[in-house]
Amino acid sequence: MNMQTGSKPITLLFNPSIYIAGARALLLGWAAIFLAGLLGALSATHFDGVLDVHTNPTGSPPTPLWFFICEGFIAWLCLTAALLITGKLTAPGGFRVIDLAGTQALARWPTIFISLIALLPGYQRFTAYLLDQLLNRGGHFEFVTPDAFAFFCVVLVMTVLVCWTVYLMYKAYSVSCNVTGPKAVVSFIVAVIVAEVCSKTILYFLMRAI
Amino acid sequence: MKQLPTTCPSCSGELAARRLHCERCGTEVEGRFDLPLLVRLPIDDQTFLLQFLKADASLKEMARILGVSYPTVRNRLDAIIEQLKRSESGKKGKK
Repeated sequence: MNMQTGSKPITLLFNPSIYIAGARALLLGWAAIFLAGLLGALSATHFDGVLDVHTNPTGSPPTPLWFFICEGFIAWLCLTAALLITGKLTAPGGFRVIDLAGTQALARWPTIFISLIALLPGYQRFTAYLLDQLLNRGGHFEFVTPDAFAFFCVVLVMTVLVCWTVYLMYKAYSVSCNVTGPKAVVSFIVAVIVAEVCSKTILYFLMRAI
Repeated sequence: MKQLPTTCPSCSGELAARRLHCERCGTEVEGRFDLPLLVRLPIDDQTFLLQFLKADASLKEMARILGVSYPTVRNRLDAIIEQLKRSESGKKGKK
């Protein structure tokens, strides 16, 4: 009996929820979020929102390690909560919260690559240069063409990775709540917007508290 | 054994049995016999349901057997149930 939609490696890349869900997905996803946060601290990359990726290599304001790790978990929690509500409203039958939470956590695994590529020195230097220029911090950094090229390439790859992550989040929602078609797309977009606002607000207050 | 055809190859209408044959004594019964709803399902779905029953109707066990996740199995089952409901309401509408 064939329950696959394509070859297994391709399905695992673009719709892992077909094979992995529940507690297993949750543990793997949590490990991925933790690792992405850890690497994010090394590359000064923040996942400060459901769809956000920002790099700030200037070290100002100083951010503790736990904050980098918390960002990913807060983004995941906000999206899961929002999708739980839209799922309850749109799903034709019941679904398990553990499946939704697990698959949403697992969907964030490409953020590991985002944190990794942000470690590239050229990208770091050019980001620092851009921030220096934008915030008028006194011109400590120079424009270097290879760095600008590295920055452009990294941003391009990051955009693809963010799109991939969002696609995984959508597929995870679709499989775990069994919603498809326009109903799934619209409810997912609404949930992402709500979760984005919530996660940004929580992180803003958390940042102010430290 | 050949797969039982359930729709007409000419007009796609539903097929019904006209004659049944006993394999042991050769007796034949003629009449008009509607095919059961489950028989009208695609062979893949029939196999899935059979396997599901053999697995004590446990979605978790089915997920383990098929090597897929729990929601994938549940979605497949929901799709079959939906298909059965549609067939059932379609048949009632015709009566």
